Amino acid sequence: MFKSILTLGAVVLMTTTAIAESTPIVGTVSSKCSIFTDTAGVYGNPTPDELSTLPADGGVLPIVRYDVSVADKYKAKISWPNSFSSAPSLSDSVTWDGETEVSSHSESGMSAYEDAKVEYDNVTEFDLTLAGSTWFKITSEAKYGVGKALPGGEYTANVTAECIAN
Amino acid sequence: MRYFIIALLCASAVHAHEFTPTYPKFDSSYVDNVVTTKMKLFNRRKEISYYEIGVFDNEWNPITFATENRIVNIEYLGTKSIDIYIKNSDLSRIGYICSVSKIIKGTVKSSGVKSKICSRVK
Repeated sequence: MFKSILTLGAVVLMTTTAIAESTPIVGTVSSKCSIFTDTAGVYGNPTPDELSTLPADGGVLPIVRYDVSVADKYKAKISWPNSFSSAPSLSDSVTWDGETEVSSHSESGMSAYEDAKVEYDNVTEFDLTLAGSTWFKITSEAKYGVGKALPGGEYTANVTAECIAN
Repeated sequence: MRYFIIALLCASAVHAHEFTPTYPKFDSSYVDNVVTTKMKLFNRRKEISYYEIGVFDNEWNPITFATENRIVNIEYLGTKSIDIYIKNSDLSRIGYICSVSKIIKGTVKSSGVKSKICSRVK
C-alpha cells in the first residue's frame, strides 16, 4: 500500500515537473529590406548605333527583386543608366532612354504599384506598401550620335536599385 | 507551381544585400560629445565584395561621420557590424545612413546592378 502511494506520488511529481519546464519561444519580426539581383542585364546591338536590353533587340532585361518584411516602411527607387560606366572612347553624344516596370509580385495587391509609380528623370519610385516580394524589370536603351556606328568594344552601364526607409 | 517558386527562391537567394536596423538609435559613446550606433551589413551578392557607408541629412547632403572603414570589405555570405560615430551636435540633422554596393571595373559585363539600402534616423 505504502509502495503504491510512493509510486503514485512520484508520477504526479514528474507530471508537475514536465508542466513547469515549458519553454516559451519568442520571436520578433522587424522591418527589413533586401535587394536581390535576379537577372543581370545584357545589351543587344540591334542596329550599329544602338544598344538595348529589350529581348526583341537581342538583349536581356535586368530584373531586381525587393523583399520587405513589414508593410509601408520602405520606398523602392530604381534608376536606369544615363551614362556608361565603361566604354570605348566615344566622340559623339549618347541619347539614353529607359523604363522600370513591375514584372511580378508575391501579393495580389502589389499590382497597384505600377499605376502608383512616380517617374522623374531616369528615376522611378514605388511605395512598398505591402510586405512580400516584388520583381522589377528595367529597360535601357542607348543611341549614339546621328547615323554613326558605335565603336567596337565592351560597354557597361549600371542600374541603381535603392531601398529607402520611410 | 510550388517547385517553381522554391527553385526561383533558391536561384535568387544568392544575390542579396541587407542593411539593418531600419530605424537605428544613437547612444552616447566613450568619447565626449560623440554618439554612436551599430549597423549590420549582410552580403549575399556573390559578385560584390565592397560596400560604401554614407550618412546624410534629410536633403541628402553628406554629414561628417567616423567609422572603422568607409569602404567595407565583406566576403560573400558575410555579416559585418559597423559602428558609426557622429558629433552630438549633428544628431538632430541626420536623416539617413546608407550602404551602397561597389562594382569593381571588369567584374560586370553589359548591365550591372548597384544596390543601395538606406536606414532612416528619426
